[in-house]
Amino acid sequence: MHFAYPPRKSSNPPPFRPRTSALPTIRGKRLKTIVLTGLAFLTLLWLFQRGGRSRHAPPAYHKPSGNPPVVIVTVFNEGKYGKGYMDMVKENRLKYAEKHGYGTFFVKSSDYDLHGAPVSWATLPAVRHAMTKFPDASYIWYLDQNAFIMNPLLKIEEHVMKPSRLEELMIKDHPVVPPDSIIKTFSHLKGHDVDFVLTQDKDGLSSSSFVVKNGEWAKFFLETWFDPIYRTYNFQKAEQHALEHIVQWHPTILAKLALVPQRILNSYSKEKGGQEYKEGDLAVRLYACGEAGEDTCETESQRFAQWKAAYQDS
Amino acid sequence: MSLSRSPSPVPGGGWASPGLTNNLSPSGRSSPTKAYAGSNGTPVMWERQKNMGGAAYQSFSTQNQGFFSRHMRRISSSLPRFKADNTHGAEREKIGHGRWNMPRLGRIRGITGRMSRRTKMLLAFGLLFLLGYIIFYSTPLVYYYRRTSWLGGGQKFVIILAANVGGGVMEWKGAREWAIERDSIRNKKKYVAKWGYDLEIVDMSTKKRYAHEWRESWEKVDFIRSTLRKYPKAEWVWWLDLNTFIMEPSKSLQDHIFDHIEDVTYRDINEYNPLNISHPPADPYLDELSKSPIGDGNPNSIHLMLSQDCSGFNLGSFFMRRGTWTDHLLDVWWDPVAYEQKHMEWEHKEQDALEQLYTAQPWIRKSTAFLPQRMINSFPTGACSEKGNDPRIHYDQKDRDFLVNMAGCEWGRDCWGEMYNFRELSYHLNRSLWERFKEDLLCWIWFKLTGKKVKF
Repeated sequence: MHFAYPPRKSSNPPPFRPRTSALPTIRGKRLKTIVLTGLAFLTLLWLFQRGGRSRHAPPAYHKPSGNPPVVIVTVFNEGKYGKGYMDMVKENRLKYAEKHGYGTFFVKSSDYDLHGAPVSWATLPAVRHAMTKFPDASYIWYLDQNAFIMNPLLKIEEHVMKPSRLEELMIKDHPVVPPDSIIKTFSHLKGHDVDFVLTQDKDGLSSSSFVVKNGEWAKFFLETWFDPIYRTYNFQKAEQHALEHIVQWHPTILAKLALVPQRILNSYSKEKGGQEYKEGDLAVRLYACGEAGEDTCETESQRFAQWKAAYQDS
Repeated sequence: MSLSRSPSPVPGGGWASPGLTNNLSPSGRSSPTKAYAGSNGTPVMWERQKNMGGAAYQSFSTQNQGFFSRHMRRISSSLPRFKADNTHGAEREKIGHGRWNMPRLGRIRGITGRMSRRTKMLLAFGLLFLLGYIIFYSTPLVYYYRRTSWLGGGQKFVIILAANVGGGVMEWKGAREWAIERDSIRNKKKYVAKWGYDLEIVDMSTKKRYAHEWRESWEKVDFIRSTLRKYPKAEWVWWLDLNTFIMEPSKSLQDHIFDHIEDVTYRDINEYNPLNISHPPADPYLDELSKSPIGDGNPNSIHLMLSQDCSGFNLGSFFMRRGTWTDHLLDVWWDPVAYEQKHMEWEHKEQDALEQLYTAQPWIRKSTAFLPQRMINSFPTGACSEKGNDPRIHYDQKDRDFLVNMAGCEWGRDCWGEMYNFRELSYHLNRSLWERFKEDLLCWIWFKLTGKKVKF
């Protein structure tokens, strides 16, 4: 409106209106700022949410709690040996396990369907079975039937599997298959990364005494080793040669493997096959017992009967 | 304002029209003077003056009458200015005269000068919005923006495209083969540029690898391994054979599969089991998880997603996720003992090897999931057609299947023809609005009018 003069104000100004509520009123510019900030914040939330939706948690596989710490697996070849002998072997395991609170797992090689392959292949499903039966065990120690645990004072989880112990025991940069495989063991493997510990004898890798750490890798390893395609190939030394093959051809297996000196786990009864048993070694294997030209296993086992004495003291 | 009109020796400046002269003279007279001096010296008499019988003035203000008198200032300010100092040609234009010398900008400045603040703000926001839309939705910049993890996560996906199959070693690579390759690569490149993924084109030419082994087709394994290494941020890798075409590029992988993996995949192969693999594995020594038909049911444990066609696993289009399981699989997939025994039997090489691994080793089943074939691997009619058209397998236009894999086209079918047809079909199905307007409306109208078919 265009007046010549501004409209007249009254001489008495209107009384000052008090606030209607105790709370401060938001008006005008401040309200707009608040609304815009709120919208911007919501937009940011929506944007971040859109990208973050795909964040998934990795699958949590069961971690073994360590009860029992070790399970000793022994596979009995029933047809070949007398009951007395097998009972002695069983007792050897049971006494040792009782002393340290370990578990034992005894199976017969006829328990598993090997589709006609040599019986020594039964090692693999036996260890796999032990992992199923003892899901909380930390380590599985497979020991050949013709072997005896001689020194009950030594504990597997300290004598062999402790990470610091493994790091000192590990044979680094050594051909995995003697004498001159071009595939060598890793030099920079950490002790806690090792999932599979075994030894070499004079001819090759010895699968008569080895330790696996219970876990997903061990399942993958055993199932790969037990693939029927290796059995049908008819390796000369059955699962032992198959092991040598997969260890050299598949680095994901080699990456978790540690070789330890033979006498730590797997002393032999004769020097012919590998390092000979000395007093104080953990276990002795009756090398080539019962084979052509050798004494029977029962006779051989008499030479190492002193393991019984070790339990009488305690 | 020294001179507002061109100089002329004629008195009065040569301008005959009376209204242009004395209204603006500094003498500031606001009423018309009695008489105007015309160019011929005689006073110019207006019609109205004549009618009024000589009275030369009106009783109301005539100052702002006439278009020119009202808009004189505006028009004159936008006309080019001329100075008395005769600086020539180019220098003249360069001299800014302290003002905007360009007519267009001057116009815009004039328009914006007269807008209210509010209008200006609205206009600014509108332009900013349009600019943002253009930058972020229409240009190649979408690639960068969709790659980031908080706006889509495109960098987690890498597409490996197997190109140069054979490399011309065993058979001739002629114009058709080149054309197929070009189309396939172009299609994947466009898809990747749209959604921010990475594309790795690998060379599948036949090579003799080792002295006693001929490992062609197993290169897939090596390529996946090297790709996972090359793209450290990648989580999923999508292997595609050359004879594939992404039919619906407007669907991102996240929308299609990955945002709801658990809904689209199935782990129990018994849902569709062309190989009749006994599942779950029944060996007594296995643990609960291995014996479960769906594994742990957790979508995060899926590391391999593939589809099955009428005769078994199909590795023409499959996904693998980075992880320890994948490392293990890629390691044991090829084995010389297996190869030696089976390579004569295994026609599809690594595909059959995977089938054997899946059957024999339970740890593989734990992280493998299957997708319905038409989700990532539709076949054209011609592949797997012994029993006619299978709604499970064959491409269906109505459902707008995502990808078509012209598998086995090099045996007995026309690869180029199929590729061309699917490409044209894809373009047809995914026309933009403008193209649809042109083709469906304008061309149709033209056809109705003239009976002739044209293409705009």
